Amino acid sequence: MKMRVKLTFPQNLIKEPVIFTMSKQFEVMPNIRRARVTDTVGEMILELDGQESNVNEGVQYLRDQGVEVELIEGDIVE
Amino acid sequence: MGFVRGLKCRECGREYPVDPIYVCEFCFGPLEVAYDYKKIKRVLTKKNILKRDKNLWRYKELLPIDGEPQVGLNSGYTPLVKADNLAKVLGVKELYIKDDTVAHPTLSFKDRVVAVALTKAKEFGFDTVACASTGNLAHSVSAHGAKAGFKRFVFIPASLEPSKIVASLIYAPNVIAVDGNYDEVNRLCSEIANKYKWAFVNINIRPFYAEGSKTQGFEIIEQLGWQAPDNVVVPCASGSLLTKVWKAFKEFKEIGIIKELDTKMFAAQATGCSPISAAIKQGTDVIRPVKPNTIAKSLAIGNPADGFYASQVVKESGGYAEDVSDDEIVEGIKLLASTEGIFAETAGGVTIAAAKKLIQQGYIGKNDTTVVCITGNGLKTQEAIVGKTAQVHSIKPKLEAFEEVLKNIR
Repeated sequence: MKMRVKLTFPQNLIKEPVIFTMSKQFEVMPNIRRARVTDTVGEMILELDGQESNVNEGVQYLRDQGVEVELIEGDIVE
Repeated sequence: MGFVRGLKCRECGREYPVDPIYVCEFCFGPLEVAYDYKKIKRVLTKKNILKRDKNLWRYKELLPIDGEPQVGLNSGYTPLVKADNLAKVLGVKELYIKDDTVAHPTLSFKDRVVAVALTKAKEFGFDTVACASTGNLAHSVSAHGAKAGFKRFVFIPASLEPSKIVASLIYAPNVIAVDGNYDEVNRLCSEIANKYKWAFVNINIRPFYAEGSKTQGFEIIEQLGWQAPDNVVVPCASGSLLTKVWKAFKEFKEIGIIKELDTKMFAAQATGCSPISAAIKQGTDVIRPVKPNTIAKSLAIGNPADGFYASQVVKESGGYAEDVSDDEIVEGIKLLASTEGIFAETAGGVTIAAAKKLIQQGYIGKNDTTVVCITGNGLKTQEAIVGKTAQVHSIKPKLEAFEEVLKNIR
């Protein structure tokens, strides 16, 4: 499955290879489309491709690390 | 023949044909409708607008449809109320309320966006429309969709209070209550929108749907005698309305309806869900998602799709943002009702309370012309003010009992 997400990194994770670790650990292929990094926060728009359970575990891993993971559509429930 | 040039990515500028798509395949940026303004300028004149029916379609060349309007023929053109009583209380000279509490048919500004979305859905040939909503959007899709003859699916979190569902159920849509948390409902809806060939109004139809909000901006200019105000205060959920009111102002300038545009755009949010106002106040471009905790449920979007763009509009126009507590929201609702006789939902309380703060802080000038956008009717969120209004005087059926009470009132 493919999932399009926006990741927001807090300051303490900007320098960490979080995406690489997630990718390697859960066999999820990240395809980065857009990114914006300032000295206080980082934002990344990307597609995660892999088996559904792997993608879900990868997303959970990112959240456990402190990365905010949201759908690129924003909140759909209005 | 329409006046739309196509869809354009807001991030990378790549252009796409008019299709039910919403995201750039390359950079995943959101798509927006692009128009042929030279062509529109020849047709959409003040004279032509004034000849037309008083509904949102009087500006149809600047809306993303190809044929004639099919939905919402009685929606829009809501009153712009000169709010002298409220102006006096807030200490400003000229204040107006753009009153969408009386938008037709479901008493919120969502009737504007849904009218455009469903007309476009008809043009695309969809037979089913859908949305995920806890309130105003669900009501509007259910009602407009009934009149337009669509099959309708409304997705809600299973935990939603029954009273909020009745105003959708009366129009007999298919209401699907999803047993999961907010994130899970969002994710399911995204999956459904990508799998089923439906017009999911705020997903695959979003570029067209969002354009409906511009009609509020067009009306403000027309109702002010074809001029833009000095300030507009707009409540922010996804942030889309604020960006579209601004787009409307710019478009009217582009096609020559107005000559000057020097309006400041102000964003209003509840403190319990203020990712946009927080970013503006902190001077950052990054919108940090939050978990909403506010009585202003119709503004409770923790991860706002247009938050970044709304913050950019505020910056570009020289405006600012303010957020208000739940108590201030209730006070805002009461103030608007007691001064202007307008009963707004909680989002309206947010806007009034935020406007009050912005005036007190000097961001809004006392001699300026200011418009405050009120987007929904208070009858929809009565639970928020129960016990916080004026109280009933209970008496026995005797004249003396009444006169006893009257003594205290006088």
